This record gives sequence, C-alpha cells and structure tokens, in this order.
Amino acid sequence: MHDTLVAFAKWLEGTPWGLMTRESIWAYPFVQLIHFTGLSIWLGTNFALDLRLLGVGSRRATAAQVAEELFAWNWIGFAIVLTGGFMLFSGIATAFIANIAFQWKLGLFVPLALTWHVLVQRKARVWGKTTETPGIARFAAITEILLWVCVITAAVEIPNH
Amino acid sequence: MWEALEQTAWVKTLGTTGWMYSTVSVTHYLTMFWFIGSVAVVDLRVMGLAARRRSLAELAEQLFPWAWIGFAFAVLSGFLMFATDAGDWAPSKVFHVKLTLIAVSAVFAFIIQRGARKWALDPEVPRAAKIIALISLLLWVATILSASEIPALEGLG
Repeated sequence: MHDTLVAFAKWLEGTPWGLMTRESIWAYPFVQLIHFTGLSIWLGTNFALDLRLLGVGSRRATAAQVAEELFAWNWIGFAIVLTGGFMLFSGIATAFIANIAFQWKLGLFVPLALTWHVLVQRKARVWGKTTETPGIARFAAITEILLWVCVITAAVEIPNH
Repeated sequence: MWEALEQTAWVKTLGTTGWMYSTVSVTHYLTMFWFIGSVAVVDLRVMGLAARRRSLAELAEQLFPWAWIGFAFAVLSGFLMFATDAGDWAPSKVFHVKLTLIAVSAVFAFIIQRGARKWALDPEVPRAAKIIALISLLLWVATILSASEIPALEGLG
C-alpha cells in the first residue's frame, strides 16, 4: 500500500503540471492563487450558511434559502480548491505524503467534506425551513466551523514538519 | 523603527513561540478567506452570476457585517505576522504592492456595500455597478497573487 502511494507520488511529480508547479518560479504563485481563490469562495459561502444555521446575523432569509442560493458557488469553490490543491500536491508529492501535518490535513479534510456535504447538500434544506433552527443544526454548524479551523491549522503546520 | 518593533519583547515572544505564531497564521488565513469569499459572493450577485432570486440588498446585509469582522481580524493578525519580521518586510516592494491592493480592494468593497442598497431599488442592476463589481473581484485576485509572489520573488514569508 505504502509502496504504491510512493510510486504514485513519484509519478505525479513527473507529470507536466507537477514539474511546472515545482520548477517554475512563475507557476507556483499562480497555482497557489487558484487554491486560495477557491478557498475564499468555498469558505465564504460555507460560513455564510453555518452562521445562518447558528441563527446569528441577518435572519431575513431562512437557512434553507441561504443553502439554496449559495449552492452553486459553494460547489464551484470546492472544485477550484481541489484543482489548485491537487496541482500544489503534485509538485512535491513525495514530501507531502511523508509530512505528518499534511497527513493530518488530509485526515481532517475527510470529515470536513462529509459534514459540508451532509449540511449543504441535504440537511440545511430540512433543518433550515423555519426561522429558528433546531439544536442539531447549530451543533452541525459549530462542528463544521471547528473542522475548518483544524484543517487550516494542519495546513499552516506543514512547513514546520 | 521597524527593527525596533521586531525587537519589542512581546513581538519576540510571538515570533519564537510556535503555537502563538501558528494561531496568528491560522487566524490570518481563515478570516482572509472569509472576508474575500463574502465580498466575492456579493460581487457575483451584483454581476447577476449568483443568488439571483435573492434581493441584492438583503444578501449584502447578510454577508457584509461578517465580512468586515473577518477583515478586522485579518488586518490585526497580518500586522502581528509583519511585526515578527518587520525589518525584512518593511522594505519589500511586492509587500507594498500587496498593501496597496488591499487598501484599494477594501474601498471597492465599501462602495459595493453602500451601492447594494441603492442598486437593489432598480429593476435591473445598473451596468456601472456590474463593472465596479468586476473590478472588485479582479482586485482580490490580484491581491492574493501579490501575496503569493512575495515568497517566490523576495524569499519572505
């Protein structure tokens, strides 16, 4: 399993986009730009929904409406994050898979993506029909915000390991 | 002056205590994404590319207060990160570009926030407003790019 992963990481580093990200001083900032632009859109739309589920801020729209209206850009943001992240990863894939902070980041990304999927895709429309949201909705929103903090913390720690 | 800031006792503590510096970095990234994302959604709404069924004024009212809270934290944490290495950051040309872009982008965000109430009264968002929103979006892209160029071009960060 581990050998396959290392072989895959080596292959990624040799791909045209892997080489470009690693070796071109000009390409790297642009790839990072893709990742960060996606993160802004994804996190921005995601937090807007979480805060509405928590019932803080403007309550003129229900959480169900907020989920519905931001749905497209939430997904677009997520897709851009993955694209940029995959390219950044390809540049130095072997170093990333050996990095404990990166392993944590990926490990925490899974529950974040799952919570996000369950909330945005399904539950916000059920829990968010009324102005007051149920306790479970607030709990899910808090969990999601905390998972965001955890994933970003792990990301920030990558260069230190 | 910047060297003196860097040598201040609390700045030194911040710069040399791993968890403190990490906390500040996490705050900076998180609130920065939050702010830019919120403004970007309103920009897209002004351009007619997002949340079309929702009134522009209402969407702006929902997103902007949080966006500015995010902005305040991003500026504060950014200043703290700057302080720990102020002597090197202060003369950096690309960093000056970044700060200028942030200032101009924030002014545009403010214009969008003020305009949203007015533009929402018209049946169709005025063309000039759409152009302002597009400029606002592009300014944020340029801001992020300038930030990413600092380590690439000047070895800082």
